[in-house]
Amino acid sequence: VMRLTKPTLFTNIPVTCEERDLPGNLFNQLMKDDPSTVKGAETLMLGEMLTLPQNFGNIFLGETFSSYISVHNDSNQVVKDILVKADLQTSSQRLNLSASSAAVAELKPDCCIDDVIHHEVKEIGTHILVCAVSYTTQTGEKMYFRKFFKFQVLKPLDVKTKFYNAETDEVFLEAQIQNITTSPMFMEKVSLEPSMMYNVAELNTVDTAGESESTFGARTYLQPMDTRQYLYCLKPKQEFAEKAGVIKGVTVIGKLDIVWKTNLGERGRLQTSQLQRMAPGYGDVRLSLETIPDTVNLEEPFDITCKITNC
Amino acid sequence: SNAKDAKSTSDEDDSRDIVQQKTQEEILFHEETIDLGGDEFESEGNETVSEDSNNFVDKLNEQMMESVIISDSPNNSEDDTGELGCLQEIVDQMEAKDNQKTQTEVDKEEFLSNESETEHEETPKDISEIGTDDQASLKEESLQEAAKEEPKLGNNVPVDTKPNNIDESTPEDQILSPSTTKSSSESEPIPVCTIFSQANNASSQPQLFLPDGFEPQMVKSPSFSSIIETPVKSNPQVVQPSPSLSKFFGDTASTNTLASDFFDSFTTSSFISVSNPNASSSVSEQMSSLSNGGDSSSSNSTLHVQNGRSEADGPPSSLEITQSPKPFSQIQAVFAGSDDPFATALNMSELDRRNDAWIPSEETRNVLISVATQQYSTVFIDKENLTMPGLKFDNIQGDAVKDLMLRFLGEQAAVKRQVLNANSVEQSFVGLKQLISSKNWRAAVDLCGRLLTAHGQGYKKSGLPASHTTDSLQLWFVRLALLVKLNLFQNAEMEFEPFGNLDQPDLYYEYYPNVYPGRKGSMVPFSMRILHAELPQYLGNPQESLDRLHSMKIICTKILEHLEQGLAEDGSMTNITQENRQASVQLWRSRLGRVMYSMANCLLMMKDYVLAVDAYHSVIKYYPQQEPQLLSGIGRIFLQIGDIKTAEKYFQDVEKAAHKLDGLQSQIMVLMNRAFLHLGQNNFAEAHRFFTEILRIDSSNAVANNNAAVCLLYLGKLKDSLRQLEGMVQQDPQHYLHESVLFNLTTMYELESSRSMQKKQALLEAVAIKEGDSFNTQCLKLG
Repeated sequence: VMRLTKPTLFTNIPVTCEERDLPGNLFNQLMKDDPSTVKGAETLMLGEMLTLPQNFGNIFLGETFSSYISVHNDSNQVVKDILVKADLQTSSQRLNLSASSAAVAELKPDCCIDDVIHHEVKEIGTHILVCAVSYTTQTGEKMYFRKFFKFQVLKPLDVKTKFYNAETDEVFLEAQIQNITTSPMFMEKVSLEPSMMYNVAELNTVDTAGESESTFGARTYLQPMDTRQYLYCLKPKQEFAEKAGVIKGVTVIGKLDIVWKTNLGERGRLQTSQLQRMAPGYGDVRLSLETIPDTVNLEEPFDITCKITNC
Repeated sequence: SNAKDAKSTSDEDDSRDIVQQKTQEEILFHEETIDLGGDEFESEGNETVSEDSNNFVDKLNEQMMESVIISDSPNNSEDDTGELGCLQEIVDQMEAKDNQKTQTEVDKEEFLSNESETEHEETPKDISEIGTDDQASLKEESLQEAAKEEPKLGNNVPVDTKPNNIDESTPEDQILSPSTTKSSSESEPIPVCTIFSQANNASSQPQLFLPDGFEPQMVKSPSFSSIIETPVKSNPQVVQPSPSLSKFFGDTASTNTLASDFFDSFTTSSFISVSNPNASSSVSEQMSSLSNGGDSSSSNSTLHVQNGRSEADGPPSSLEITQSPKPFSQIQAVFAGSDDPFATALNMSELDRRNDAWIPSEETRNVLISVATQQYSTVFIDKENLTMPGLKFDNIQGDAVKDLMLRFLGEQAAVKRQVLNANSVEQSFVGLKQLISSKNWRAAVDLCGRLLTAHGQGYKKSGLPASHTTDSLQLWFVRLALLVKLNLFQNAEMEFEPFGNLDQPDLYYEYYPNVYPGRKGSMVPFSMRILHAELPQYLGNPQESLDRLHSMKIICTKILEHLEQGLAEDGSMTNITQENRQASVQLWRSRLGRVMYSMANCLLMMKDYVLAVDAYHSVIKYYPQQEPQLLSGIGRIFLQIGDIKTAEKYFQDVEKAAHKLDGLQSQIMVLMNRAFLHLGQNNFAEAHRFFTEILRIDSSNAVANNNAAVCLLYLGKLKDSLRQLEGMVQQDPQHYLHESVLFNLTTMYELESSRSMQKKQALLEAVAIKEGDSFNTQCLKLG
């Protein structure tokens, strides 16, 4: 069993010299001959050669756990009726991850049964991959063995939210998202899925010359421990805004949907729980200003429109 | 009501602060609790998908709500808001109203009531509360669950504590910022003044010497007696700074001879190695003194003086005094040749000047000027300013491959392993090159060491005065470069150390006007500077690398400026033909490009991708012919970050720029990029298709071969993948026994069977036949 995280690109250490130096072009030639360098730009550190993951690495909530399961016949006997079962045991449940549950009729020596399993991790904490193999030997003996592979699922993000209630029934949601992994994280999508009562406007881009530019600038990714602030404006839908009584007390605002990518497009996705807020209480009767002039002349009457709502 | 609202928000801020504080402390006491709480919260959204767990999670959520809120309700105007009026105002302006969370738990209200005064000291009170609370929830949870989860859940601890710190700092920053800017503007003029005065001081010293060398030296000359006291190997430093005139006057007659004796034997030994750089056998002390005698008797006595000065700081002054009877005009005549810029220009070959040009620091330049112009004056050089390198370790020769063979394949097999070593080649540059090209870098390092020992810079010679030649520095460069290539960064750093910042006066040709008459510039090869600058990044100090690279960049730019202004590289008024100027500009532009390259690589290593990408973009300006490769590289950087879209954009740019390459190469590059793009989209099948297509065009493409095999593994075809890699290695072992390929291969062997050892050993045998002693055996995972 081997966890299939994305492969990494091989980096080499460029050592160059100039023609007049003692080694002549020896060093440069050596680098040219090295298959891991980029041809024509050997000094470029980041090569094109893929290398397989060197250790289990970290796995984070919302990412997909992929694993290669290979059952290899090390013996010199043919075995029959091989059944491979891969289960993932979490703290709360047990999932079957095997693609097929059908038994393989026979496995010749030095042959193998391969399976690649995928599972989107939805729980934090200890996970145990349980691989069970049962088979029948030539003598008809039924054999069975299990192997356990334990790993920890960690939390990738820290999400904090804060609501600002505007006088106009609008609600501003500020969300801080912090990358608490150890690798840079490209935030592909951070959106607010509003509940049925609200419409949402994202305030994370600035329109300049017709092109919307992210408020985060050219830096499209979050370094480890970096935090980003997202801002959303929620407006109650017309039908609910009318009935002031509805938006009172505890209301469900919606939830944040976060999609990120890391090394070579390794994808992760998380949603927060329903974000709730306590709508400001106005007592029984609420007075709000609908219109008011911003400047008035002295000694001249002016109009103010007030709205009194019976909550 | 606004004010009220604000107050309540601030209250809540405080409460949150305390809560955070608590969580922080709580972590110390009950690690599991907080983790579980946080976990459930995060995972909750996803849980809905899996129905089984739904109920359970909901239940948990009910219990765990407090901690959810805690991690869930931050404010911007952090902690100390309660005390900070201005922040409250900000809050008011924002019309932030009552911020109460819907989830008003018992806990929370307690906090609120506690919260009137927000002082951190108060937190302990509440800790117990929340602690017990969480403990309770933990209990409940553990009832429902198998106890499995509890061990090893402490991972998130540092994570949770940090945000709090950040929060706390923000408001202070806001408040402080105006005052700091003010103060900085006020203090500006002062440093300017000091800078000027310092500069004056620094430059005035040598200028004092310039008009006539006599009087100032007298004052500064070190006492002779102390010279005598100092043994040859001790620090002249001790000698130099203690000038006692009384002693000097009293002892002149008696000490003079002694001093000069000492001085002769001392300096000339090094002098000889300067003049005879090819003296391959080790220069013994006696030999040097012998030849020294011969030299001193020869007509050119001034030569002695010159060298003496360069070697040790103290002695020269004394010598100068002995020489002082000479008429000034005579001295002038002797040195006229080397001093005249036009004469030197004639002597100096264009190529040398172009390549060796370097701009020394002010300090170094002053020393060099005084060496060049003030033959009879003392040039005081701190020993610290001299370069005294030496081998730091004797012998790193060894053959890891052979060792492994001994271990796994037995002695018989190991005997068959034959590699070149330092003994088996000619003890010269030719042999050295042979070792390098046959990838026996360890042996090459060894040979470099031997050749350097012959230069008097061998083992344990570090810290002893040495003289440098073009060859000795080239040898150092090769040795250090090989050490870096062997990933022996620590060793390289150790041996680099005596070279300081490669700007010491004795590393310039001007320091040895008699050995290199008229030659100017630095002996240090440019590549060695690059190496020196790059080294710290491999030792976990990329910032230092960047600093060094930036100062290199400044000098390169300055040289280019000089060239543009019609000056020589170092800014002197030397006539350069148009042709030579052009060549020089070209050389220095490419060197500047090389520096930028290193910077980009360093930034990449630091994972500062934005700056790295910028740096690679600027590299393209210097190496336009590498544009397609560099753009692809940038694309791969974005792939690594996970920004597939931007990567795609760059790959498209590559396709536009690919015409700079010949047909086949550009075709391969385009296909390669497409394959990578598919990798980024998790489409291994397509990626494999493109890699295979490259192989159809260029069947010997190692990268495509390897990458295709990797894709096969991800597609669940272990055997096919193995076949491909094995075939590749067998087909052309000379070329494909590469670390990365072998690493992949051994990894797959391990996956394939628990009996991977045999196959790995077979690889070892293949390696033993083809590879030199520099092979990195780690990739075989035979450990």
